[in-house]
Amino acid sequence: MTRASKTTVLFALTFLAFWLVPGIGRSQQSIPADEQLSDPEVNVVLEGRQRSRFRMAMPALGRDGALGPQVRSAAEVLEETLRADLDQSGVFDVQGPTQLSALTLTGVEARDFELYRSLRNELLLRATVKQEQGRLILEGRVFDLGSGKVVLGKRYRGDPSIARRIAHTFADEIIVYFSGRQGLALTSIAFVSDRSGFKEIFLMGSDGADQRPITAHKSISMSPEWNPNGREIAYISYYSGTPNIYLVDLSSGRKTPVITTGSLNISPSFSPDGKRMAFARSIGDGNSEIFICNRDGSGLQQLTHSSGIDANPAWSPSGREIAFTSSRTGSPQIYIMDAEGTNLRRVAFEGNYNDGAAWSPDGTRLVYASRRTGDFDIAVADVVTLESKLLTHGGGSNETPSFSPDGRRILYSTKRRGASGSNTQIFVMDATGGNRKQLTTEGNNTSPVWSGFKE
Amino acid sequence: MRRKSLVTVWVGVLAMSVLFLGCPKKKPAPAPEMEVVELQPPREEIVVPTPPVVVEVAPDPFSEDIETANIAAYEQGLLGDVYFDFDRYELKPEARERLAKNADFMRAHPEFEILMEGHCDERGTAEYNLALGDRRANAAKNYLVSLGIPAGASQTVSFGEERPQCTEATEACWWRNRRAHFVIRGRQGG
Repeated sequence: MTRASKTTVLFALTFLAFWLVPGIGRSQQSIPADEQLSDPEVNVVLEGRQRSRFRMAMPALGRDGALGPQVRSAAEVLEETLRADLDQSGVFDVQGPTQLSALTLTGVEARDFELYRSLRNELLLRATVKQEQGRLILEGRVFDLGSGKVVLGKRYRGDPSIARRIAHTFADEIIVYFSGRQGLALTSIAFVSDRSGFKEIFLMGSDGADQRPITAHKSISMSPEWNPNGREIAYISYYSGTPNIYLVDLSSGRKTPVITTGSLNISPSFSPDGKRMAFARSIGDGNSEIFICNRDGSGLQQLTHSSGIDANPAWSPSGREIAFTSSRTGSPQIYIMDAEGTNLRRVAFEGNYNDGAAWSPDGTRLVYASRRTGDFDIAVADVVTLESKLLTHGGGSNETPSFSPDGRRILYSTKRRGASGSNTQIFVMDATGGNRKQLTTEGNNTSPVWSGFKE
Repeated sequence: MRRKSLVTVWVGVLAMSVLFLGCPKKKPAPAPEMEVVELQPPREEIVVPTPPVVVEVAPDPFSEDIETANIAAYEQGLLGDVYFDFDRYELKPEARERLAKNADFMRAHPEFEILMEGHCDERGTAEYNLALGDRRANAAKNYLVSLGIPAGASQTVSFGEERPQCTEATEACWWRNRRAHFVIRGRQGG
């Protein structure tokens, strides 16, 4: 565990530093994950997983010694980020300083643990920030309040400017330790924003922080899609007049055209090995069909042949199937076919307009936008039983859903209409529909897609 | 009495007038011979200069810049948008009528390269609307081809719901966004 997690952190940080945050990442050193502060002797009882969440006390971050203004404000960012990550993880129910303010702590550990337990806390996260030669040091320990022992201890050191990344890294360590699955704190979200006056492709952290554009075509750019390798994003742009498919390399920012012939090339979706792409392409008289091609645009192959509109393909995580939207029976509905174009079957049977299917990472579910009355809602369907259910219920038009890499969260956009126009923002919710949180506010924001885990 | 004296005055005046008028005729000079030249009527009319009359001849908007041509074509009703039902791309009868007029214009101006834009209202999904808009633009184009307009005279592009005419959330606005819009993009070969 110790070695494995250390390797994971190192790898994740190195990856992030060099690939994910161009400009910032490359100018910073990666943070060495320091030695484990203590070996966990006590394993948290695993039946805890069966319960909904661990209740974790997280009192205010301690400040050790004098902090310069940079480190002081970095500490605030770090504390806020760490608490939000843990709270949003679905693993912990975090009690912060406000909830803990009723306690009169004594400074005597055994006595204080008793107090935390009195508020039904099972875990205690105690962390301290200090400054050493202009760098920020975070020391954090998670105590099992049952035994009073430290089960996880970490020390991180880095430039104050990467406080958010330090917090995400520590949060993911805690999450993987207690849930056995990787956390989302270090993942990224690609999306479309018109905040500059033009639709451009943007990136942000999984918590909505650090929103930044990765295209500046000053045209219409939309439909971002991660290469599963995490290093590039496919998207469409009207840069040359008609919608065509491009790739943007996240480390260099370089844009490469993939498919630029014909009048319409839209909705790219990578195969799980990142070597091929499915997309919709207009043939002849404006009839769009599903095509596949190699990552560089070569090897073009037509998969569908129907007189209706075929659009919006999504390659399954197994690589064996492709979900897409077709109007072959009249209204847009969702179908699955084998990746060779055969064995077509319909998936969604409720709703008069279904579009935008995205697979769950385990390939068992599709999430999509479904219109049953006036506006769209997010629906999820089991691809085997074909049972579907709605995850949202109005409050605007809910569209463009996609799963988190752990399958536990769903990103989507909500369009709210006013008298003078509409406003669209990105939200995240649990895959069961609750725990909703808005991630964007500036301009209109839509089509969020989650990166894979950073490893 | 009084009348008698008036008559006397008038007689006097008359007598004096006769005396006076008779004086120049005392020595009548021989009448000079008069030369009479018959003037031929002038062969050419003499142009009398008057302020020049300026006739306002409107410049041909279709020989001007492309932007002027686009505005004029729509203002004069020579080109017009074609409208569609929600989530449909079939041409309605009024759409065919409109396209016939557009075809007249395209025949009259074969020099123009026409771009047909397919647009959708915001109620569908953005991705699907891109495909739907392409269908709408091509429905218009195919009908024009059936009317004898060369396929090469026009191109199509779909903007889906990305370039709406209006943004109110009412059917009065939405129907205006479900359209094929015609744009003069340039001159053939220019």
